[in-house]
Amino acid sequence: MQSYWFGDISNGACQPAEGDTASRLQRLQTLRATMDGFVPLNWEDAISCGICSERAGYLAALRELCFAMSEQQIRREYAGRDTELLQMVRTLDEMDEAINLLSERVAEWHQVRHPTFSRKYRRTPAHVQVNRIAKTGKGALGRAAVQVEQLAAARTDLAKEVSSRANRVLPNTSALIGGLVAARLMSHAGGLLPLSRLPASAIQVLGARTALFAHLRTQSPSPKHGIIFQHRRVHNAPKDRRGKVARTLAAKLAIAARLDYFRGEEVPAFLSEAQVRIDRLAGGGGP
Amino acid sequence: MIRIGDVLVSRGEGGVYNERMLAGARVWDPFRSKLAALYYVGTGVELEPGMRVLYLGAANGTTVSHVADYTEVVYAVEFAPRPMQDLLEVARRRQNIVPIMADASRPEQYAPLVEEVELLYQDVAQPQQAAILVRNCAFLLPGGMAILMLKTRSVDIRRSPEEVFCDTISELDAAGLTVVETVWLAPYHKDHAAIVCRRQSRGT
Repeated sequence: MQSYWFGDISNGACQPAEGDTASRLQRLQTLRATMDGFVPLNWEDAISCGICSERAGYLAALRELCFAMSEQQIRREYAGRDTELLQMVRTLDEMDEAINLLSERVAEWHQVRHPTFSRKYRRTPAHVQVNRIAKTGKGALGRAAVQVEQLAAARTDLAKEVSSRANRVLPNTSALIGGLVAARLMSHAGGLLPLSRLPASAIQVLGARTALFAHLRTQSPSPKHGIIFQHRRVHNAPKDRRGKVARTLAAKLAIAARLDYFRGEEVPAFLSEAQVRIDRLAGGGGP
Repeated sequence: MIRIGDVLVSRGEGGVYNERMLAGARVWDPFRSKLAALYYVGTGVELEPGMRVLYLGAANGTTVSHVADYTEVVYAVEFAPRPMQDLLEVARRRQNIVPIMADASRPEQYAPLVEEVELLYQDVAQPQQAAILVRNCAFLLPGGMAILMLKTRSVDIRRSPEEVFCDTISELDAAGLTVVETVWLAPYHKDHAAIVCRRQSRGT
């Protein structure tokens, strides 16, 4: 017997798939075809099944089914807990880039308007200066500065949201390195499932691609850390111990990512043990 | 294939991807479509009105829309959700595209949907490209043609494109396909080769 979307064919007789598109779709998903002994379908069998009376009708019915199926599959792919978080992190990182570029440019523009002004010795952070320009700047410059400020405000909100969502989607990973960095790790891996499949050594250098390939091609030293450098325990560690901290942290993150994917909830026993282990390294001592 | 002067075109509703129009026909850009590039640098397979095509790796449906302009029906298989959204939109406006969201390396997923076809076209970024083509030959009529757009960099980034190409040819030979034409798609696409083969007719 051969099963097709419109019904089962055995010994030239057809058992049609009854019902509308939705029920046909349900039936189709229960079919388990194998390629050995497979006979490609003959569309004229669909006529004997009573599905259609001519070619155009056959294609129309098939298309209706395929559209329903594809739409359902897309919806299912996007329903994953991590898909929206992925877009949010990437938006956040690109916003950061845009804000930095624009603040620098606005500051330069301001300087041209005020020939006696210099930023030397002032130690004014960029956002404070943009704020000042937004208040005092005239015309297009002032308006541009106002826009940069608004973008920065939207960025702050988004960062909070990313962080809180990461705590939900990646509870264990977030507990170890914080929501933002956890979300960035996931974004670089391409999702929660790909992240959970990465070995610790890959997580350690995620985001250090240039350095990694330079190392593989030439004799240059291997990168010690990628994105996880953003975590305080790595960048605050003394220089000679950073590699060690990064390695241990990455090993714990690999386990955490798997817990996140397969259990989806915080595992306190694992977390407390991992924290102790990493703190011992970062704090000095170490095995 | 329809050409106006030197320009390859297809006749159908325009505006799929802001393609240029020429005398009411859609210009088929060889820099954007590997199949179009094949028609510029080689011979390829003549697309005919009665043809049924199985198209693996349909992506956003730009090349699919041109193929659909020429042929009777195109079964377009794509795996990733994001391009699939675009493909569905293209298929909504072209009655002879059947969109299928499935993994081309697992033909059993769409075996109950696809009939026998005269042309099998494959453009997927996978390491096992030859094996995928061979597996999908189950849908190809005896004597039917298969076009493989070999992305050598997807097979193995460390080996030279020429090496990958030779291995693929021998793999196709071993599977009983007759290689009819091979051509590199330079200057339109880098490190891509088009391999046209024929499935043996019954009884030969």
